[in-house]
Amino acid sequence: MSTQDKVKINKLPTGVPGLDEIVGGGLPEFSFNIIAGAPGSGKTTLAHQFVFANASSERPALYFTVLGESAIKMLRYQQQYTFFDPARLPGSIRFINLSQVVLEQNLGAVLEEITKEVEKTNPAVVVVDSFRTMVRKQESDMDLQSFIQRLALFLASWQATTFLIGEYAEDELRDNPIFTVADGLLWLRQTAERNSIVRKLQIVKLRGQDSVPGLHTFRITEAGVQAFSRTFGLTARKRNPPSDRRLSFGIAELDKMLGGGVREGDSVLVAGSSGTGKSVLATQFIAEGIRQGEPGIVAVFEERPQAYAERAASLGLDLETPQKDGKLTILYLRPLDLSVDETMHSILDAVQKIGAKRLVIDSLAGFEMALSPGFRADFRESLYRMIFALTGIGVTILSTVEVDESFTEFTFSTYSVSFLTDDIIRLRYVSIDGQLRKVMVVIKMRGGNHAKDIREYEITSKGVVILGKRLANYQGLISGIPVHSDRPDLTEAPSLDTGIEHKT
Amino acid sequence: MTAIPGMRDLAHRLLTYEAGLGKSSESMESPATRVYEKLRQSLGEFVGVAGFYSLATRALTLSRPEVPSLIAVRVAADGSLRGLGEIENQFDIDKDQAGEGGIVLIARLLGLLRIFLGEALTLSLLRNAWPGAAFDDQNSALGRKA
Repeated sequence: MSTQDKVKINKLPTGVPGLDEIVGGGLPEFSFNIIAGAPGSGKTTLAHQFVFANASSERPALYFTVLGESAIKMLRYQQQYTFFDPARLPGSIRFINLSQVVLEQNLGAVLEEITKEVEKTNPAVVVVDSFRTMVRKQESDMDLQSFIQRLALFLASWQATTFLIGEYAEDELRDNPIFTVADGLLWLRQTAERNSIVRKLQIVKLRGQDSVPGLHTFRITEAGVQAFSRTFGLTARKRNPPSDRRLSFGIAELDKMLGGGVREGDSVLVAGSSGTGKSVLATQFIAEGIRQGEPGIVAVFEERPQAYAERAASLGLDLETPQKDGKLTILYLRPLDLSVDETMHSILDAVQKIGAKRLVIDSLAGFEMALSPGFRADFRESLYRMIFALTGIGVTILSTVEVDESFTEFTFSTYSVSFLTDDIIRLRYVSIDGQLRKVMVVIKMRGGNHAKDIREYEITSKGVVILGKRLANYQGLISGIPVHSDRPDLTEAPSLDTGIEHKT
Repeated sequence: MTAIPGMRDLAHRLLTYEAGLGKSSESMESPATRVYEKLRQSLGEFVGVAGFYSLATRALTLSRPEVPSLIAVRVAADGSLRGLGEIENQFDIDKDQAGEGGIVLIARLLGLLRIFLGEALTLSLLRNAWPGAAFDDQNSALGRKA
């Protein structure tokens, strides 16, 4: 059978930002779906968003309310959401109360009532909220199965996309005849983790659709439910082939150490202890990008954008003008109770909005601390997914990370995130000639050669300035307490690594 | 406690509108009863019988201090109103007083809708129940264009 012969299933917008991508482009038209979850998990709000996104005066939505939240209160609360347009009631969206039928009669009468209204209205969308309250009556399993079967058949034949909303616990997922009949099963979860509420949704089942598996964070705001796909909406985008282009830091000696600069699309980690100039280096990286016409994003967690720009100005770097010109966005992210996915979506939105080519995350520790404790467990996994997604479309990411300085070992990152990075630049203090001086070394460059030299640098009014040649007359520099050696310095040019990766 | 400003005017306009329809249809029911019944049908669909009954009894209770004769009016279990016609007939001589109970009751009911559902949604529901009526009178609290 050719593609032309196959039936085309239209995909309806869910009206929930981020959910279309998760369900594979929209919900199948005429599908019979269940939205399940605990009370307060956002089931009704999600259904309302779908209704408002799809109902029209020609093909309205029928919203049957059963036992549970009173319709008048439901409308009172739901209209607080920005998607709720009162003018569309009752012309495009009709609410019908079935409480009396459920209380006084049986499932057959309920079906009859729904049938009557559907035949009269010809709706595009039908919602039964809460379906579960009907089921609790003393009906046999067979009655229930028969009811569901007939309801699903009838509503599909009448070309309606249907949602049954029900309060279900996790352990009710198995062997449930209702779930067997359903084409789609959306499960909303909310759990308390320490002092935070973590909301996640899962597409347990969706016939005929390539939905994104796994648990996706969602949030309920004044705009309703907003979902955050685990894949950040970038699954459909092709990964760019690896680039040979090198991006400059605007520090000639550092570019040389990096074999010509950072490879475009790399993830760079700048690690060092407090005061070693990680943020200065990051600022120079973003400023140089802007100078070369590459828009940038700086995500800061430990200082406000104004302070960040002022600090850059003290280094002679103008970050105000590119912000006004739409070439630079400084994101101040102190989400506190936000999930890592939501925070990363903010970064992604900013990246996509200005077409950023460089992204600075300053710092990873600040990022993690800004998350609510319940989400920190997901931090590295989500960070990995974001870095993978962004570098795949050619964005070069520089992250800073604070390292606890030790004079007995030389850690690259206490963070165990070095696996996320292509390149690592390590900054550290050393004790030389009675002074606490700074050195930097390129630890790793996945894509090519880099200098093995340990170079001294200073932070001046011009930013990071690399001094002289490599420190050849010292042994044990990386310990932080080097010993002076009498061996003469014979090397003029920086020596390049052969590309062999160091263990990180 | 008097009715929410604007509700009385809106109730009055609905009753006037229904009175106009009544002349052509030769309905035996009073305009107030017909307005109430239309609200019962329209609201009952989505709030249910029990939901409408609750709203109607509350509106009636709030109305009684303003129109003591409403003490004789009852809301039946199905939400329908009992006794309004009778008290209206008792005031055959003074037509203004006769209509007062109905106006206040309807105003109170509309006031509750406005409190719970807001102005925009209340207007949408009224437009649906009275498709021929105009609700865009600038002078009315609920009559502004939504």
